[in-house]
Amino acid sequence: MKNQSSIGLARNQSREPETEAAFSPGLEIDLAGIHFQNPVLTASGTFGYGQEFARLIDLNKLGGIVVKGISAEPMPGNPAPRIYETEAGMLNAIGLQNVGARKFLEEKLPFLRTLKARCLVNVFGYSTENYVRCVEILNEGEGIDAYELNISCPNTRCGGMVYGSDPKLTEEVVAASKRVSRCPLFVKLSPNVTDITVFARAAEAAGADGLTLVNTFVGMAIDVETHTPRISNVTGGLSGPAIKPVAVRMVYQVCRAVKIPVIGIGGIASAEDALEFVIAGARAVQVGTANFYAPETSIRVVEGLRAYCQHHRTHFSSLVGSLRLPEDQPPASIEY
Amino acid sequence: MLDETVAVIENRPLTGGHFLLSLRSPHQAPLVRPGQFAMLRLPGHSDVLLRRPMSIYDVKLAHPQGSGKGKGNLPEIIQLLYKIVGRGTQLMAELRPGDQTEMLAPLGHGFFEEKYLEAARQADEVLHVAGGIGIAALLMPAKSLARAGIRQRLFFGARGVQELVGTEDFVPFVGETILSTEDGSCGTPGYITRPLEAHLENHRHQRFLLLACGPWAMLEATAEMACRHGCPCLVSMENRMGCGLGVCLGCSIRVRGEGHGSYERVCTEGPVFWAKHVMWERK
Ligand SMILES: Cc1cc2nc3c(=O)[nH]c(=O)nc-3n(C[C@H](O)[C@H](O)[C@H](O)COP(=O)(O)OP(=O)(O)OC[C@H]3O[C@@H](n4cnc5c(N)ncnc54)[C@H](O)[C@@H]3O)c2cc1C
Ligand SMILES: Cc1cc2nc3c(=O)[nH]c(=O)nc-3n(C[C@H](O)[C@H](O)[C@H](O)COP(=O)(O)O)c2cc1C
Ligand code: FES
Repeated sequence: MKNQSSIGLARNQSREPETEAAFSPGLEIDLAGIHFQNPVLTASGTFGYGQEFARLIDLNKLGGIVVKGISAEPMPGNPAPRIYETEAGMLNAIGLQNVGARKFLEEKLPFLRTLKARCLVNVFGYSTENYVRCVEILNEGEGIDAYELNISCPNTRCGGMVYGSDPKLTEEVVAASKRVSRCPLFVKLSPNVTDITVFARAAEAAGADGLTLVNTFVGMAIDVETHTPRISNVTGGLSGPAIKPVAVRMVYQVCRAVKIPVIGIGGIASAEDALEFVIAGARAVQVGTANFYAPETSIRVVEGLRAYCQHHRTHFSSLVGSLRLPEDQPPASIEY
Repeated sequence: MLDETVAVIENRPLTGGHFLLSLRSPHQAPLVRPGQFAMLRLPGHSDVLLRRPMSIYDVKLAHPQGSGKGKGNLPEIIQLLYKIVGRGTQLMAELRPGDQTEMLAPLGHGFFEEKYLEAARQADEVLHVAGGIGIAALLMPAKSLARAGIRQRLFFGARGVQELVGTEDFVPFVGETILSTEDGSCGTPGYITRPLEAHLENHRHQRFLLLACGPWAMLEATAEMACRHGCPCLVSMENRMGCGLGVCLGCSIRVRGEGHGSYERVCTEGPVFWAKHVMWERK
């Protein structure tokens, strides 16, 4: 039914001969003790609670679904306008509108539980106690495979950003949440810092089972006719293809700084995009903004990764961190 | 709701930078109800990444009735009436017959959910209030109300005569059309809310249902007027949209609720709302 979109798939997805099709690409992965049928997840805030996409794509083909950020209590969010499209991306200041942890367990989790895709719950709070409270409530639910602690949302004044931009606070909130958490804990890092590896190490030291990065970059757009900001919150989070090169660089840096698994996010719209993150060191990826304009993207990424592995007769796991550097460049150095 | 690749049949230029785009979509067209919308994607343009929301102006049979062709009576064509306002709509205007594009449709709750129909049945007359391109949301409702034998009148205001597009399409369905233009080039000079107010004043004994679509300020004025005259009023709202699927929460507007009110998504709970449910004060 759908034709190949131009932002679409890798060049490698040509029809494979029989022998190549028989080759197992090994897309199944284990991360922090969780088994994923493939390394492609959907990013928090871009995929609702999964059900919204059930009529458009086969959710059972996804590796995992990360649901919209959940807080202990429901949150209303910011006034309109909340989004604005920019070159190859978008700014958003949603303000973490969500149904709250209890309602999530009652109304959203039962459906997610029925899927083959793993369910990761993105958690945020406005104080350490509040993060802990949210995790405690969610612990009562059946079918959550992991938490993703959002210490990086740029859109709530007293919210996660403080935690994501102070390594001591990062350690504090990760350690406190880990202590009460019933399942593995991923920590989602903010890219809005000078050296992201400092925060990656802080989260690892505090007991994080894995890292996901990046969240959105704080940005701004101005209407020059009215001299007013394009979104009501003045600043918002930039996402989409525009951020991909910066996100790949950060994943590359972080993968060299920590031992725990890293999930790469940022502007992924095709299997080729995903492969960049994987080659830089990510063990899995998340698809975000692309879900909005091309809901089938995550499925195409799964299929594209499979085709790539078959074509190159390589196992997915051997692609992770397979970056080849120029010989005279020491692996850890980053030149700006 | 389906996500389909659809082919352009015609992209007809009208006056004032408006176009009528006809798309072949045999799976989506039969599902459309009055007041619903579509999200159109313009693939291959990374500067226009997000889909653009467009009201479904009309659905049509592939071959006019009586031509002996076509499968039964199901519509196969979706029409969008749009105005060039920026990059996305400019790209839409460049679509040529045979081009393909991606469309998510039909979306949202339209005008004629059962709860709204009841209000229409109780009215002596339904008044359509359109501002500019807001007209695009009202043709299908007008058609279905006409089919139900309900009396209707159209109030249509725009900047100038060039923007008064589509009026002829309403002729078979509405009893009378009242036009206004801000530059006075056609109809009553000024905003459409003036003749609307006069009509409500002059027919105090009648029960009206108002259906309105247009810019925020016009909707707000219409809502206020409807409230003053005790008329139920439905508004079709616009907002920037990221997904049309209910997941980005980019399109939320403030509505009345407990305390400071709450937010509802234009794409999912709307685009049609009771005017008194919307918190107008904000903008
Ligand atoms: C439910 C709904 C139905 C709509 N139906 C129609 C229709 O039938 N015909 C039609 O011509 N237009 C309709 N619109 C408005 C249309 O979506 C915008 O005009 C379009 O997205 C602008 O895209 P652009 O790239 O050309 O402009 P941009 O360059 O993105 O923006 C140009 C101007 O349009 C405004 N704008 C952008 N997006 C929207 C939006 N979603 N809603 C309102 N204003 C916007 C911007 O603030 C800016 O001032 C509808 C909007 C909604 C939400
Ligand atoms: C509208 C919107 C809402 C988001 N909400 C959340 C959220 O609730 N929690 C979170 O951790 N990240 C949230 N994100 C960030 C995404 O999960 C992702 O990290 C980011 O958009 C970068 O990926 P992308 O470029 O593929 O979109 C949101 C992003 C967008 C665009
Ligand atoms: S447009 Fe995304 S929630 Fe309405």
